Amino acid sequence: MLSRIAESLYWIGRYVERAEDTARILDVHLHRMLADPWVDEQTACRSLLGVMGAEAIEGPVSAARVVGLLGLDEHNPSSVVGALAAARENARGARETVSSEMWETLNATWHGLPDARRRVEQQGVHAFFRWVRERCSVLAGLTDATMSRDEGWLFLVLGRSVERVDMTARLLSTHVRAGGSIPSWLTLLRSCGAWETYLRTYRGSLDDRHAAEFLLLDRLFPRSVFAALSTAESCLADLEPDHGRAGVATDAQRIVGRSRTNLEFRGADELMADLGSVLSVLERTCSQVNDAVSRRYFRQTSAVLWVSEAVA
Amino acid sequence: MSASSWRLRVQHKTGFTYAGPVGASYNEARMSPRNESHQAVLDARVEVWPPARTYRYEDYWGTVVTAFDVHAAHETLQVTASATVETLPAGDLIAGDAGATWAELAVPETVDRWHELLLPTPRTALDEELTEVAERIRGEHPAPHAAALATCTLVREEVEYVPGATGVQTGAVQAWRQRKGVCQDISHLVVGLLRAMGTPARYVSGYLHPSPAAAIGEAVVGQSHAWVEWWVGRWTAFDPTNGIPVGERHVVVGRGREYGDVPPLKGVYSGPENSGQGVEVTVTRLR
Amino acid sequence: MADLFEDYRLGPGWDEMFGEPSMPRPTYEALHATLQPLSSAELGIRAEVLARAFLDQGITFALKGVERPFPLDIVPRIIAAEEWRTVEVGVAQRIRALEAFLDDVYGAGQVLADGVVPRRIVVTSAHFHREAAGINPHNGVRIHVAGVDLIRDEQGTFRVLEDNVRVPSGVSYVMENRRAMAHVLPEVFAATRIQPVDSYPGQLLRALRAAAPVGVHEPTVVVLTPGVHNSAYFEHALLAREMGVELVEGRDLVCVGNEVAMRTTAGEQRVDVIYRRIDDEFLDPVHFRADSVIGCAGLLNAARAGRVTIANAVGNGVADDKLLYTYVPDLIRYYLNEEPILPNVETYRLDEDPDVLQHVLGRLDELVLKPVDGSGGAGIVIGSQATDEQLAAVRDRIEFDPRGWIAQREVALSMVPTLIGNRLRARHVDLRPFAVNDGENVWVLPGGLTRVALPEGALVVNSSQGGGSKDTWVLTGTPGSVEPEVPEQEPVVVVPSPRSPDPGPAAGPVAVQQQQQQQSTRVGEAQC
Repeated sequence: MLSRIAESLYWIGRYVERAEDTARILDVHLHRMLADPWVDEQTACRSLLGVMGAEAIEGPVSAARVVGLLGLDEHNPSSVVGALAAARENARGARETVSSEMWETLNATWHGLPDARRRVEQQGVHAFFRWVRERCSVLAGLTDATMSRDEGWLFLVLGRSVERVDMTARLLSTHVRAGGSIPSWLTLLRSCGAWETYLRTYRGSLDDRHAAEFLLLDRLFPRSVFAALSTAESCLADLEPDHGRAGVATDAQRIVGRSRTNLEFRGADELMADLGSVLSVLERTCSQVNDAVSRRYFRQTSAVLWVSEAVA
Repeated sequence: MSASSWRLRVQHKTGFTYAGPVGASYNEARMSPRNESHQAVLDARVEVWPPARTYRYEDYWGTVVTAFDVHAAHETLQVTASATVETLPAGDLIAGDAGATWAELAVPETVDRWHELLLPTPRTALDEELTEVAERIRGEHPAPHAAALATCTLVREEVEYVPGATGVQTGAVQAWRQRKGVCQDISHLVVGLLRAMGTPARYVSGYLHPSPAAAIGEAVVGQSHAWVEWWVGRWTAFDPTNGIPVGERHVVVGRGREYGDVPPLKGVYSGPENSGQGVEVTVTRLR
Repeated sequence: MADLFEDYRLGPGWDEMFGEPSMPRPTYEALHATLQPLSSAELGIRAEVLARAFLDQGITFALKGVERPFPLDIVPRIIAAEEWRTVEVGVAQRIRALEAFLDDVYGAGQVLADGVVPRRIVVTSAHFHREAAGINPHNGVRIHVAGVDLIRDEQGTFRVLEDNVRVPSGVSYVMENRRAMAHVLPEVFAATRIQPVDSYPGQLLRALRAAAPVGVHEPTVVVLTPGVHNSAYFEHALLAREMGVELVEGRDLVCVGNEVAMRTTAGEQRVDVIYRRIDDEFLDPVHFRADSVIGCAGLLNAARAGRVTIANAVGNGVADDKLLYTYVPDLIRYYLNEEPILPNVETYRLDEDPDVLQHVLGRLDELVLKPVDGSGGAGIVIGSQATDEQLAAVRDRIEFDPRGWIAQREVALSMVPTLIGNRLRARHVDLRPFAVNDGENVWVLPGGLTRVALPEGALVVNSSQGGGSKDTWVLTGTPGSVEPEVPEQEPVVVVPSPRSPDPGPAAGPVAVQQQQQQQSTRVGEAQC
């Protein structure tokens, strides 16, 4: 597979996941701000911006401004709209590799963005975020249903998994920032669409230990950090059919594997006690994996600038 | 070859120096003489540093091209062409008033045959002043050959030979205006003027041994040189820079419409600025 | 109910559907009968569905950086089998002659020495690339793909307007138009037997594989695109996908020692045949524009060394120069010893005879003036529709550079009913059939791209000039006549008749019980 195409697929995976997760996070947090009379809008918005890596914003922030920055800014690939546009741009360059149905869905989503914006004005942000979640689910479904399980699929799922680890780690950070109060776990679990599953698993008990355990370590819930790391790990292993005899073949595998075992073999209590640093290590892990994958698979995919020269 | 022929060994070193490491470079060298009626090539080779596999082909103009690409990081690129060539003296020259007439050159079949060598090119295009010069010379000479010789004389008298006065991109008009130039500019001027008169003309690149009385076995600093040829019923060559017919001191490498068709070394690279280039030609008369 | 054909007037050109008002020609009878009962509202709704489908699939072309759909008109254009036969044979004849010409001008130049084509025409052509001399494709093919632009004149005769043998585009619309039409107007398809167009990618791949360098038995073919911002990117992706080959950009390729490879996740992989959709000038910075960032350095010499095949070949533009066009009938006689099957449009050369030039300058307002190396309809001046200023400007330009222009008789292009608003109106069309040369046979795709000029009376049908397209139907021959290329019959395989799908676990009873439960609950409530 062409390095450039592999890179595009990897980023389609990342951007679509980013769009969906950002939509989920914003949706639930904004909802809570409205529903909870004791929340200070300014502080809550600052905290949200901080977690999403947009601390540098100056001036007073409001819920509407957060929606503008993290939801609708088309030039920011970390906003919902920007991520969808970036995913579509990547798919445009990899069009013969993604299935036609996936491309059409991404393209139709992109064409639907102006309408969706109007919907924000008419029906509020919730309708918009729900639409984004649905579009992303359709896309995930089509990825599943129409893409061969070849290298391209591996890169796409790898990107998705790396992004998911990153986003879930950020999401958990909002809890750390909120000071660890119980209602914020509710928010977090809702963000991940994990609320019902969690309740079923732990029979309604809502304490820190269980909630953190669930989002970090659950083997079966696909949005847990552990599940996403495991998926990334198996994608990386499948990309290297020839794994040799000693250890693993690539840097990326080492980084992901270390991170996964670190979660797996430390007890939930220990992890919770040190949650802040566990999360920042996870975020760092994601960018290291990203670099390692780029180095190994996406070599020199930018154009060369030539200069002409002549001598008499 | 006859007893009056010379045997010349030419070594031509050229290349580029860069301000830092260059990752990739693709080049073409036009530095190899080939066999023709006036010269016989005994040996010719092109070497490249850093080492690269070379590929030879003959281009549209019949020039031997050595193409190569370098992918190892390098800060200098050097190309060395060596050749041993037997050359003949000028041979039977066309008398001043002989050769084709203006009317013969204007026959449609002749014009069509040499059409490519009658059109201006970027470096041989003339301005109004030079076009008038061409018209005047043509008017003064009943025979194209005599007009061509007169053109060579005029350009040589008007344009002072000053090394470094111009670069590879300089055109005829600029050289004329500053009345300074090198063999390349003088040849471009002559070629441009002759074409304006309706005489098919071409630009020749090659080497010149600087001394008519060269000592055998002595290596001297030579030149990468350029001169002209024109067609008056047959092709005839002349070196306007030195005002002499082309003979045993000249080694032909390539012919074309202008310098742009026969550059000794050109290419593209990706990396930092090109900070220098050097040319060094050594000629030794062996016999 | 409003009649779609209400107020339909025959225009100034040959009307392909109607020989006389309300009397469809035999080829169009079935279509006419199907359209007739549709209300304009119905047809309008289907036209909208058609447009939406194109936009969602990203079937667009970019004009000045903006993606636009290439509007597909809902009324197809139909060509009878025997008419098509002439087009097919005529196009193939032309391509054979142009192949011979290219081989000649980049080789011995016999045609020039014999004075059939003046050297002047060749050596002053902007697309005569001396760099291509000595690159000899081993199967002799330089024009792997051609698009020959045809029009039908006032008598309905097909004439050649221009040849495109560099990187002709538009074939993707032929395939997509057909798919879209089959979805939107299935009943019309049912009434007519149309030759399919979906074998194009297969034919192209076959021709590209046949062009592989000597000794390569399983060649790796790629499509080289300038990238997503190119107006024909959609087509590049479609062709790559349907041929099952990689779609590469220049930056994916690297050429080392005349070996071309693409950068993959598993290292570098050798490439043997490049179907390039990049213009010559941008293909190889070593020989052409050094500032090109979409090409690949070293390609040309790799092709010269016979290590890679570039399709179409470099330098083909000398054969589709509009001035050379005027010599193509002579080339057909010279190389093939045949008479041209498809005539040219009457054309004046302006660079030969001053009398001709004066004659043309005297009647610019009746002629069509075309720059010789323009494409996409750029720079064309239609005398009868031009303002005095435009005529004066083109006069200056022609006087300054007669080699740069040709003048043609203004042909009233043929017309086909087209949905404008909610009525059908006659609009001018042209036709670009696509030909694929595999070295043994020139195959012409039955159909081609019909472009329609949407503004009333407009004669320039290019997509960049506000044009649309029509699905082009070539009818299969009537029974008894020669059937063109029927695919081989699949052997009949006896398969067991399908069973009904497995039912889910006891779906029926559970649902019934759930309903009963609800009912009983309600009953229970009532009891409390």
